[in-house]
Amino acid sequence: MLVLLFKNFIRSKGTKIGLLFLLIIGFISLLIGHQFQEKQQNNIAETTLYQKEHIARNATFHKDEIGLLLYYIKFSLVNNTLPINSLAIGQRDVNPSIQNVTIRGLEGQKYDSELNNPSNLLSGNIDFSFVLLYLFPLLIIAFSYNIVSEEKESGTWKIVATQSPNTFLYILKLFYVRILSLIALLTLILLAAVLFLQIPLDQSFFVFYGLSILYILFWFGVCFFIVSLQKNSNFNAVILLTIWLFLIIILPAGINTYIINTYKVPEALELTLTQRNAYHEKWDMDKQETLDKFYKHYPQFKNYVLPDKEFSWLWYYAMQQMGDDESAVQSKELEAKLEQRNRASEWIAQFIPTLHTQIQLNEIAKSDLRNQLLFLKETTKFHEKLRLHFYPKIFDNEPVDQQKWKAFKVETFKDNSEISFVKAFLPLLLFNLLLIGFGWRNFRRKVII
Amino acid sequence: MKLLHTELLIARHFKNSVFKNPAIYIITSFIGALLLFAAFSGWDNYKSQNETSEKYQHESREDWLKNPDKNPHRMAHYGNFAFRKSTSLSVFEFGMEPFFGNAIFLEAHKQNTANFSEAGFSNSMLRFGEISIAMVLQILLPLLIFFVGFNAVAFERENGTLKILLSQGISWKQLLFGKILGIANVVMLLFVPTLIVVVLIWLTLQNFSISADETVKMLLFIGFHFIYLMFFCVVAVLVSASSKTSKKALVSLIGIWLIFTIILPRTTQAIGAYLYEAPSKIKFTSNIEEDILKEGDSHNPNDVHYKAIKDSLLRVYKVDSVQKLPFNYSGFIMTEGEKISSNIYNKHLEDLLKIYAKQNSFSKAFSFLNPYIAMKNLSMGLSNTDYDSYIDFQKQAEVYRYNMAQKMNALQIKYISNKKPGPNDKPLKIGKEHWAEVEEFHYEPKGIWDVLKSEIISVISIFLWVILLFILIRIAAKNLKAI
Repeated sequence: MLVLLFKNFIRSKGTKIGLLFLLIIGFISLLIGHQFQEKQQNNIAETTLYQKEHIARNATFHKDEIGLLLYYIKFSLVNNTLPINSLAIGQRDVNPSIQNVTIRGLEGQKYDSELNNPSNLLSGNIDFSFVLLYLFPLLIIAFSYNIVSEEKESGTWKIVATQSPNTFLYILKLFYVRILSLIALLTLILLAAVLFLQIPLDQSFFVFYGLSILYILFWFGVCFFIVSLQKNSNFNAVILLTIWLFLIIILPAGINTYIINTYKVPEALELTLTQRNAYHEKWDMDKQETLDKFYKHYPQFKNYVLPDKEFSWLWYYAMQQMGDDESAVQSKELEAKLEQRNRASEWIAQFIPTLHTQIQLNEIAKSDLRNQLLFLKETTKFHEKLRLHFYPKIFDNEPVDQQKWKAFKVETFKDNSEISFVKAFLPLLLFNLLLIGFGWRNFRRKVII
Repeated sequence: MKLLHTELLIARHFKNSVFKNPAIYIITSFIGALLLFAAFSGWDNYKSQNETSEKYQHESREDWLKNPDKNPHRMAHYGNFAFRKSTSLSVFEFGMEPFFGNAIFLEAHKQNTANFSEAGFSNSMLRFGEISIAMVLQILLPLLIFFVGFNAVAFERENGTLKILLSQGISWKQLLFGKILGIANVVMLLFVPTLIVVVLIWLTLQNFSISADETVKMLLFIGFHFIYLMFFCVVAVLVSASSKTSKKALVSLIGIWLIFTIILPRTTQAIGAYLYEAPSKIKFTSNIEEDILKEGDSHNPNDVHYKAIKDSLLRVYKVDSVQKLPFNYSGFIMTEGEKISSNIYNKHLEDLLKIYAKQNSFSKAFSFLNPYIAMKNLSMGLSNTDYDSYIDFQKQAEVYRYNMAQKMNALQIKYISNKKPGPNDKPLKIGKEHWAEVEEFHYEPKGIWDVLKSEIISVISIFLWVILLFILIRIAAKNLKAI
């Protein structure tokens, strides 16, 4: 029976075209993911090379003044890109995955943006998560909106009903065939991804896979529920497409507008202005005052006293430090606001399966806002480490050529946040159970004629 | 007159039949609510964006002027900001705004990136799109038109009423036009009130003092959206008329809608981005640095380029060392350095923008196949939220930065003594009254002619589509069969 149903399903021209289309666009998404991965790797390679040459060149130019040298040279921190990132590019195209900073004031450098074509950002990537989120549901709808209703409309349903001992079981089998085909397609694409993009078969990957399956089942659940209402095909098509439209466009966009308007971030601009003034005004202020503030922050440097000169690097870096110190409040506020944004959206997303899936996939791929915030925090730590290393050397004016410049390699930040199964799977699981439960009830209540 | 009478009769009849379905009330009131939400949030967003950027533009200007007497080069590093402001039409069409950086720090020697875009502070939710008036008009209304219109002719065919209609002496042409008018009638019930709200908001935002430029943009915005929506009415009727059953009509129309609004825009842009790979930031900056070093490095005392300048200066002024020159030598060198580096930067930027333009060319070319892309590009152009406007903003900011830096260098050459102060001397200064000589940054959005020029492909393609549909109606009227 199942074999016959499968043959019947796959023999239709529409089915073949649909499956082929999804397979091709699935592979295209892998190509795009591959290009993204290559670009990230090239960036890292270029950065590594650049940092080496850049430091070496500047070290020969400014060999007498380590303070001046450190005014120029930049050190890079890379936000590690996992291979699975190619499947869900997320916000990694908007946000830079590499930070280049000098040891001067950080706040003026931390938010430097990536070089981007805004047209590409607006239209978005065709990565695997797009194929899964947008296109799989469309095919699921196309395959199942006319289950039962079409046979009723063409008059063949009565024959089926009289020949089959259990019509409900028959309907389940129809769904089963379709579910299996699409999960097979998903598996095929992901298998190709594993080989092509060298994605390790670790926990991340299996959660990613599980989430994808649950998401596909969710849409079958929606279709099952709508079919259980036993309306005509046209009604089913319209209502299913409307649901799709709601879950894919209207609700996410509406919630996004809500979050952006609720948690506005004027702090960002405030921060840059404060930072600029806090540093620059020190040029015209009493030098000792600046240094006293500096000693308060770093008591360990108290024994470096202000030299009796118009300009000294000690004073210069103390001024730079004040740019950061005196804008720390705004910086903290901005950070808190962004964390609030992230928490609020994650919380709301639990109730919207499409959003939830997208955010979870990005979380697994480390391409969400949370990862970006962690990277920013790590940048601050990285910067502080460099400062603490170089401050005493600058204040002592140590010879440039005695520093181990080669030791300053590009560093990498690895986001090791744990993936929570419950958080990832539970919302979708609950939705699926609800839809199947209600659909079942509808079928049992109403005889399928 | 008689002919039009028949068509209006068909139109009215169709409209009545649409409103017999209770679902239409739910859908239209929902879309109405969505339009209100879009208008409100667009307004809110526009106001807070512009208030913030004005506030900080003003604040940063005050800060600039408040600076005490100092060396002009210090001021060149103190720098200025360019904050992006939106135009009033961007209330209805957000376009690429969320992806634009909102502030650029402008200082000497360095072209900074435009930072603090909304997208950088959002999680992936933003990528699902945004609800704006334009989005409702361009994406949701066409779908509504299809949902309303798929039955138009196909249902009459299924019912057998089509034969009766045609045998009563109504021509196909009359029938098609009548049905098109009928659907248009339903859509106008949403479109016209929306326009009234849009125009009212637009007038209020500008306190009823509108410029000619803005008015033309607004009129074009309305006009092109009208044409765009009519286009979908025609497509709905044509597909419905050529489909055997209403189900087939519905499925084809949904397919057309998905391809036009969801699949093609993303795919064409992705193809462009895939084929023409843009350099990364690190590559871009290191290439610039390399070229500057090739041209001449002002930090390197033995650099050929700067040595030549020095020698020629010494020759002209007949002195033996730069300290004896009658003007500030380092100011002169910095002027030269700024000129070289910004020329090189601009050259690299041009190359980069050429790559971006190539990436975008795919999607632009596809506007001949997809009226949605044409409409989207045009409406983003009119509201100055398109790619070209953003590049324009960045260019204006760069021109301002260059002029500011060179102004400070000129002040240094003119007023700062050429004799270097000793380690314990007070630094050389000029009076703070000079700071006002640098004007405040003011962003001037592109005017209507420039917009039409850069969006000419969209305009042409919309007109071609209109012509094509008229031809199709003619062909259909001749060839369609009742059964």
